[in-house]
Amino acid sequence: MGLFRVQARAFEPTYPLLQGAEIAVGWYRLDGRVAVKPNPWLPYLLLGPAGIFVLVFFVYPFLQVFFLAFQDSAGQWSLENFRVMVDDFNFAPSLINTLMLCFAVVPVQICLALVMAMMISRVDRGRDTLLYIWTIPLGISDLAAGIIWLSILEQSGFFNSLLGYAGLIDQPLNWLNYQNPVALFFAVVVAEIWRATAIVLVILVAGVGLIPKEYNEAAEVFGAGTWRRFFTITLPLLRPSLQSALILRTLLAFEVFAVVLILGGIDLPVLMGESFKWQFEYRDAGVAATYAVVILGISIAFTLLFLWALRVPEEAQG
Amino acid sequence: MTGISVAGIQKRFGAYQALTSVSLEVRDSEFTVLLGPSGCGKSTLLRIIAGLEYADGGTIDIGQRRVNDLPPRLRRIAMVFQNYAVFPHMTIYDNVAFGLRTRKTPEAEVRTRVMRMAELMDIGAQLSKYSAQLSGGQRQRVAVARALVVEPEVLLMDEPLSNLDALLRLQMRAELKSLLQEFNTTTIYVTHDQVEAMSLADRIAVMNGGHIEQYGSPMQIYSRPATRFVGGFIGNPPMNFLLDDHHSYSRQVGLERPGKAHSLGIRPEDIQVYREMATQCWPVKVGVVECLGPMQQFTAELDHQMLRVTADPDLALHSGETLYLRPDPAKVCWYDGEGRMLPV
Repeated sequence: MGLFRVQARAFEPTYPLLQGAEIAVGWYRLDGRVAVKPNPWLPYLLLGPAGIFVLVFFVYPFLQVFFLAFQDSAGQWSLENFRVMVDDFNFAPSLINTLMLCFAVVPVQICLALVMAMMISRVDRGRDTLLYIWTIPLGISDLAAGIIWLSILEQSGFFNSLLGYAGLIDQPLNWLNYQNPVALFFAVVVAEIWRATAIVLVILVAGVGLIPKEYNEAAEVFGAGTWRRFFTITLPLLRPSLQSALILRTLLAFEVFAVVLILGGIDLPVLMGESFKWQFEYRDAGVAATYAVVILGISIAFTLLFLWALRVPEEAQG
Repeated sequence: MTGISVAGIQKRFGAYQALTSVSLEVRDSEFTVLLGPSGCGKSTLLRIIAGLEYADGGTIDIGQRRVNDLPPRLRRIAMVFQNYAVFPHMTIYDNVAFGLRTRKTPEAEVRTRVMRMAELMDIGAQLSKYSAQLSGGQRQRVAVARALVVEPEVLLMDEPLSNLDALLRLQMRAELKSLLQEFNTTTIYVTHDQVEAMSLADRIAVMNGGHIEQYGSPMQIYSRPATRFVGGFIGNPPMNFLLDDHHSYSRQVGLERPGKAHSLGIRPEDIQVYREMATQCWPVKVGVVECLGPMQQFTAELDHQMLRVTADPDLALHSGETLYLRPDPAKVCWYDGEGRMLPV
């Protein structure tokens, strides 16, 4: 039953049931009977549980981490944790590794996902099937993904077997240790690209679907070839989706952990791994929290950068 | 010289036959309107001519060039879309310049041509704005400017006025007409609005169910509808059709009818109304009377068949009274059992 709102017009003959009614303003059912007037607090009430959830499980731990990072063991405000972190011989490599992984992985993922999204948008039959297959890695935990790639790349793994069969190597090589840092780095890059391109793809496929096809048709009629259409129409109109995908993917890239842990162990330190190590091996929650704050800081910086760089001026929004 | 020649075009969408062997000749600098109800295939035909859709069979020639397998950008056409398709992320200037730039026109020439076109279309003040800052009418002008600035051999328009409100539509229609006369571009224009079609077209192709029912000048279409569908679609109110398989009604008013005639078609304004009993008339009972200002319309019942009649506004008409009608013999059309017009 639909509702209609009467605003001080209860005596209108249109609603005979309301004639002479005392409640003039309020919500009525279509047959004229008074409905339960929505409580103005109802929206807040309905949002309440989610709000509490966020407060308890995100905001509170976040504040806790913040206090842990900026206070010493005696509870005094101090930058001691930061000093310990920066002085640690693993800090600089882990920061550099994390950033380099991010810079190596994210651009490739964006390009790859763009290509895949454009391919999918051209497919009519079997489009959904293709999309489901391409997004399978989304359903695999990063730990499992790490194990899959370990079984491929370890000394007795599939990759060495393949190279052996092909006659390219005489004996199995060890790709995943400190003696071969470039190979190790690329192993993680490949695993990350395999694992997490799908989330970018999903966002971009949705974005491509939002672009009215008339724009591409108009461009086509007015002489634009495939590449020109892609660079002057599709890509600019995809900017909001690219922005979301970039932010999401970059933040996740700064938190890279399980895949690195499985493939590299201690040979490829990253920020998240260091945080884990300080918490559970060195039993120093303060420094662990400090690492978390650093990750947060970098994440906020990059989010702001993408928000600014890929902003769409209000007047240019279609 | 850029005529368009379409022959035997067919198109299926899955199980749905959108076009069944459509042929159409458009002469150089002619303005042809594709008119029909929604789903009749008019937009599909236009999109096939544009190259945005590929036909399952048949041929398309634009100015003696077979364009069947050419992509849209090589067909030397321009198009105005129903929802304008003005690129939202480019300024109006860049929108209008788009077609010139893809054709590698020098930037200085782009500038002069865009400026001239903007002045002509009265969008000079909007050039640095974006589509979202413009009204529907202004967006429409941008879309037309973008199409005409490339001086296309052929201009295709897909219901360009249907998103405008009634008053603006009237104004744009008149403007469009004088503009296109000036440019002399061969134009195909799709609409479902018969008034638009009548007022703009050199020739109208009335479409129905994926084929062309009649192709001719607006007056031919109006006064000699080739099929009952055309007569019933064009005109407000549409043509009256009187079932006359026993020759009784035509004999009553002294009309000679072709042998196979099944029904008689007559426009509401081609019927003389008499108050007094006269010879060779149909006696009818007046139903609903509507006064429309310059004229009045009424429904007349003739042995359970309904006729719509236009009458002088001064004639006093009363529902329920009996009047006498006589169709203008020169204006009567005859149709066979399949609804096709018969020669007299």
